[in-house]
Amino acid sequence: MIPYPVNLFLRFDPLILLTTLLSTHRLPVVLLPALSVVGLTLLLGRVFCGWICPLGTLNHLLSRLNRRPRTGPGGFRWKYYILFGLLASSLFTVQVVGYLDPLSLLIRSLTLAAEPLWNLAAHSAFSSLYEHGFKALEPLYAFLRAHLLALRQPLYHQAFAVGVIFAAVLLLNLLRPRFWCTHLCPLGALLGLVASLSPLSRRVSPEDCDLCGLCQRLCPSGAADSREGLWRKAECFLCGRCQVLCPSRAVAFGFSLGKGEAVEGMDLGRRRVLLSLAAGAVLAPLLRLSSLPTRGREGLIRPPGALPEAEFLRRCVRCGECMKVCLTGGLQPALLEAGLEGIWTPVFDFDLGYCQYYCTLCGQVCPTGAIQELTQAEKAKVKIGLAHIDRSRCIPYSQGVDCIVCEEHCPTPEKAIKFVLGEVVTPKGPRRVKLPVVDLRLCIGCGICQFKCPLEDKPAIVVTPLGETRGGAFLLPT
Amino acid sequence: MDRRSFLKFLLLSALLPWEQGLASGRPDLVIAKGPPEEALAAALEALGGMGRFVSRGDVVLVKPNMSWDRPPRFAANTNPEVVAAVVKLCLDAGARKVKVFDHSCDDPRRVYRRSGIMEAAKGAGAEVYYVEPGRFRRVRIGGEVLKEWEVYGDSLEVDKIVNVPVLKHHSLARLTMGMKNLMGLIGGRRAQLHWQLSEALADLAAFFRPQLVVLDATRVLTAGGPQGGSLNYVKEMDTVVVGTDQVAVDACGARLFGLDPEEVGCIPAAHRRGLGEMDLRRVWIKRLDGQRI
Repeated sequence: MIPYPVNLFLRFDPLILLTTLLSTHRLPVVLLPALSVVGLTLLLGRVFCGWICPLGTLNHLLSRLNRRPRTGPGGFRWKYYILFGLLASSLFTVQVVGYLDPLSLLIRSLTLAAEPLWNLAAHSAFSSLYEHGFKALEPLYAFLRAHLLALRQPLYHQAFAVGVIFAAVLLLNLLRPRFWCTHLCPLGALLGLVASLSPLSRRVSPEDCDLCGLCQRLCPSGAADSREGLWRKAECFLCGRCQVLCPSRAVAFGFSLGKGEAVEGMDLGRRRVLLSLAAGAVLAPLLRLSSLPTRGREGLIRPPGALPEAEFLRRCVRCGECMKVCLTGGLQPALLEAGLEGIWTPVFDFDLGYCQYYCTLCGQVCPTGAIQELTQAEKAKVKIGLAHIDRSRCIPYSQGVDCIVCEEHCPTPEKAIKFVLGEVVTPKGPRRVKLPVVDLRLCIGCGICQFKCPLEDKPAIVVTPLGETRGGAFLLPT
Repeated sequence: MDRRSFLKFLLLSALLPWEQGLASGRPDLVIAKGPPEEALAAALEALGGMGRFVSRGDVVLVKPNMSWDRPPRFAANTNPEVVAAVVKLCLDAGARKVKVFDHSCDDPRRVYRRSGIMEAAKGAGAEVYYVEPGRFRRVRIGGEVLKEWEVYGDSLEVDKIVNVPVLKHHSLARLTMGMKNLMGLIGGRRAQLHWQLSEALADLAAFFRPQLVVLDATRVLTAGGPQGGSLNYVKEMDTVVVGTDQVAVDACGARLFGLDPEEVGCIPAAHRRGLGEMDLRRVWIKRLDGQRI
C-alpha cells in the first residue's frame, strides 16, 4: 500500500471534478477536495494559478527568459472557449479534459517523456564517462542512482510526441509570458469564471499613480493591462508584482477598499460561446464513429480493476499516474488500441512489461476511480485477458526443443500453463518434449508469459483481451 | 585426538559409509536438522568450521535464491533465517564484507522485501543491494554450450561464493537446487538457457565453483515450482544440507525430495564432467538428524 496520496494534486483539481461529474452523472467523492480550491478562488481569485499550480510555476520560470515587452493581453479569451467545448463534450460523456487539464498534462508529460529522458541522459553520460576511464564521478552516480534515478530505465510509447507537445507548451512562454496560463488553460478559465465572483478588489490610487505604465508591462497575465485602465479580475494571478514594484506605491489589493477599481468584463461574445459549446457537443458522437465496440480490440488490455470500457473512458483523465506507478512498465499510453477517444489511456503492452501478481498499485493512484482499488485477493480473481500459444512458432512445438519458460513464470498457484509430454516431428527425427498448454479457466492474462518468452522477434505466447472479467464483452464458450 | 574421540570416530565409521573423507578427516557433506541457526552451526562445525572456507578479510558472496515475489512460508525463496545464519557465520569467521544479491525474475523491489531476505541479511550484517542493469560483463564461460555469457560484475570480484539455494520442484529441470541457483548471477537472455538446460547449468557450475553450498530444505516446495503459490505445496522438513561438492549436495537434495539424482539432468551432466560425485554411496555423509540415508 502506498502510504501517502501521490495523486493529491489531481484530487484538488476542480476542472476534473466538474467534467467527471458531468460525464459520469455521478458525484466523484474522491475528487471533493477540489471544492476547497473553488472556495479559495471564490475568496481570493486565481491564487491557484499564481501560487500553487506546478505547471504555472514552470511557465513562470520559463517566462523569465522572455525579455520582450508585453504587447496587450492577447488572446486571453481562447481558454474560455476551450473550457466551454470541454464542458459540453463532458456533458455528452466524452472525457477529453485530460489532454488539456494542466495537472494531467504536467504529470503525463513528466511520466512519459521528461523522467525517461532524464534517466537515459544520466545513464548514458555516466556510462560513457566510466567507459573512458573517468571514474571520479562514480560517487555522484551512486547518489543519483539511490535517490533520483529510476531502478529500471522507463520506456513509454509516444514519448516523443508527448515530449514535443510539452516542450511546445513551455516554449510558448518565449512568445508571450505565461502563454498557456493566459491563453489556453481550461482550468485557468474555470477559475477565472469563479474569480469574477470574488469580493476581492484592486485599487490604483489616482493621486499617486503617475501613469508610468510599469504595472502594465510587468503583469504576467495582462490583467493590469487593460486599454481602458481597468482591471481584469478573472485574469489576475494575485502575484502582487504590480503592488510591490509600483514606484509610487499606488496599487492596493483588499476586500473593503471603498470604491475599488472598475473591473473589466470578460466580454466573451455570445455567438462564440455557443459555437464552442456546439463544437464540444459534436465532438462526442464524432469520436465514437468507430468500429471498435465490435471488432479490432486485440490490443485493448486494461489494468485489473478497470471499469467496463464505456465507463472507463468517461472517467480516465489520461493523467499517466498508473503508468508511472506500474512496476514493470507494462502499462503504456494507447495510440489507437482504444480508438480516438482512448488516446493515451492506459493499456498493457506485454512486450514491455506485465502485471505483477501481487501488485495493486494502479488502483491506488487513479484519481477518478477509472481503475478501482482492489485487494490482492480480489485481484487474483480478475482476468484481464487470456494467453494463447502460437504453436507454429513456440519452440517445443515447432522445433522439438524443451523450453516452457512461460510455465515457469506463471504466477497462479495452480499454474494456468501446464505441460504435456508429446512427440514432435523435427528434421532430425521425432523428439519427445514438454509441450506447454494454457488452462484458460485459470489464466488471468497477467502477461508475464508473453514478456518472458524467449522469441524476441514476436513472442509465441500472446495475451488478448478475450475472456476478460469486466464488461462481459469478450466472452468464451466455456 | 584423545582416546575418547578416537573411539567415537571408530564407532561412527562403523555405522556410516565413507571413503574420501579419510584424507581430510572431515565429512564431504553434512545433513542437519533443527532450527536454522543451530542446524547450520552444527553442520559447519562438523565440516571443520566456516574458517575452512572463509578466510580473514575475505569478501564473500552469499547467494540465496531470492527470485520470486512470495513470502517465506511459500518456500519460493531461501528461508531468510538460513541466509541470516550463513551471513553471520561468514562474518564470525572473519569475512571483511558479506554481499547478498540475486538477479530476480520478479521485480527486485518486491522480491527482496517480500522474501524477508533483505531484512534478515541486513540484520545479520550483510550488504544487500539490487542488481544494476549496466554492471553485467560478457565473459568467457568456456563451457560446452555456453561459450560466452553476461555475468554480474560483482560476482566475479568476490573472494568466496557460498551458494545458498532452496530445494524446490521445477517443471523443466525437475528440481532446482544449487546449480540452478547460479543462474541468479548471470544476465543476458537467460531464457535461452532453458533450451539446453542440463548442459548449461553444468557449464555454470564449472565456471563459478562455489566454495560451499548450503541447501535449504527447511521448507521444501514439492509442486508448482519454482514459485509455488499454495501452502499445500510446502513441506516442512527443517533440514539443511551443507557441503563442498556442489554435485553431491544437489544429489543429496534429490534423494531428500524422493528422486533419483539421475533424474535431475544437470546432476549427471556435471558428474560426467568431473565437477563432483553424484553417487552418494561414494560420499562421506554425516547425518546430524539421526537417520540413515
